[in-house]
Amino acid sequence: MTNSVLWYTTRGAGAVTLILLSSVVVLGILSTMRVQSRRWPRFLTTGLHRNLALMTLVFLALHIVTAVVDPYTNLGWAAALIPFSSSYRTLWLGLGVIAFELLAAIVLTSLVRGLIGHRTWRAIHWLTYAAWPVGVLHGIGTGTDTLSVWMLAITAGCVAAVGVAVFLRLTSGSADPLAGARTTFRVAVDRREAR
Amino acid sequence: MTRLLDAPDALTALPNAGKGLIDAIERSGLVGRGGAWFPVATKWRAVAERSHGQAVVVVNGAEGEPQSKKDRLLMTTRPHLVLDGAFLAARVLRAARIVLYIGERHDVARNAMLRALAQRTEPERRIVTVSAAPSRYVAGAETAAIHLINEGIATPTTAPPYPFERGVGGAPTLVQNVETLAHVALIARTGQAPHTVLVTLAGALKQPGVLEVEKGTTVAEAVRRSGGFTEPPRAVLVGGYFGTWVETQRALDLELDHGSMRRHDLGLGCGVIGVLPTSRSPVRETAGIMRYLAQESSAQCGPCFFGLRALADTCTRIAEGTSKPEDLKRLQRWAAEVRGRGACRHPDGAVIFLSSALDLFASEFANDSAYALRRTA
Repeated sequence: MTNSVLWYTTRGAGAVTLILLSSVVVLGILSTMRVQSRRWPRFLTTGLHRNLALMTLVFLALHIVTAVVDPYTNLGWAAALIPFSSSYRTLWLGLGVIAFELLAAIVLTSLVRGLIGHRTWRAIHWLTYAAWPVGVLHGIGTGTDTLSVWMLAITAGCVAAVGVAVFLRLTSGSADPLAGARTTFRVAVDRREAR
Repeated sequence: MTRLLDAPDALTALPNAGKGLIDAIERSGLVGRGGAWFPVATKWRAVAERSHGQAVVVVNGAEGEPQSKKDRLLMTTRPHLVLDGAFLAARVLRAARIVLYIGERHDVARNAMLRALAQRTEPERRIVTVSAAPSRYVAGAETAAIHLINEGIATPTTAPPYPFERGVGGAPTLVQNVETLAHVALIARTGQAPHTVLVTLAGALKQPGVLEVEKGTTVAEAVRRSGGFTEPPRAVLVGGYFGTWVETQRALDLELDHGSMRRHDLGLGCGVIGVLPTSRSPVRETAGIMRYLAQESSAQCGPCFFGLRALADTCTRIAEGTSKPEDLKRLQRWAAEVRGRGACRHPDGAVIFLSSALDLFASEFANDSAYALRRTA
């Protein structure tokens, strides 16, 4: 009975992680687009993005720990931390480990952003665009509930939401109201060629 | 008594100078002549204690202030004096490198500096490089100079880190105006405190141009030496575009010295004294300068870029008689809101200038606003 509780927790936490992570990605994209309205100030987007990201890690930890300690799977800690080291579903679990480690790096660098500088932080934050699809593939590939109607709906909803957000980001240009003027000024005082 | 523009510019051996020069500078009370009037000794000590033989000296001859001509004149006529100051700084601060940062349109000044440099010894020449400052207002700012030398783009950056902490190539850096360095050279040679100031007289004068005046010389005397007014003056702009409009009688009595100006809550800035004739509209003149300063915002900070543009637009509307009823109040409110909201001091300088215009030309601003109201009524 305890074993099946662990197993259900792993599956449930996995599904919740997917929903939370997709929300975080969408919110992150919306914040770069400076989306706002009367009822939705911009700090709400960034605040939610931050807090949901921390919550994602909590559910991800639950997902991983319950999977490892479940005696039925017999995975071991190495399989949870070293990609493609698991004998069980090597590829799919490996993808999950990679997604987890990328997300951990992204969250940790965000917590110490003041120390590492904006440029480094941003470069690492871009890895989200790798971590999210890898995580989704892990869920589709090894998820026990992948083919159930509700899980199909969740996965499809998450992919659609992130897809739409990325599409809008790519087509909307810069949301910075100073971007045009700043570029013009920088071009006027740029002497890189002359040196 | 030695004056900058009377000093011989012949190439002579550098006077011996060590850490004692910083004390001599401190005793002389020398302050930076680029416009900020910051104590030179304080700046040098900050760089010296971090240098470890790696520091960089930037000789600032950008002179981005449109009315100012004194830095150009000094570099053109006394290049060795400026270079002496730079090499003394390099020696005292144990600097590894000197960068001459000269306005790209100041050809005569740059050529004079390069000719003088070519006459120096090989070990001296080896540590000097030359960078051209874009002819924009903010390019003369310390952090903009460092940004150009490092990355080729002359926009101001946020401080801290201050130049004395992390400047050119990441090394502790001294950015010093050319006039200041020339004074350092004289202090090292004569041991005397500098007693003159370079000023640029501009506007409605018969012979506008650069003067080297004894500290304490009145504006009236400087006007007399500039041939007098061409027509009755309306007001005097003291300290250039980041300066203050002053009523003519009061301005004529002012002494051309930063300490004396400070006691009147004024600043000499880069040393520009501009005379506005009665034939020109003060509101129109203020609007024009605000337009210029708005265009010179590097568009990095919203309050500066949008704020100065809104202020310039409003001034222009009042000058053209198309203002809205609330425009005058808006100018006052926005001026207060923009202040201190930029990464550099560009918005602050512009707002100090505008506030003095709103004070001194209150009746003109009120009249021109009222004219617009009568027209629409």
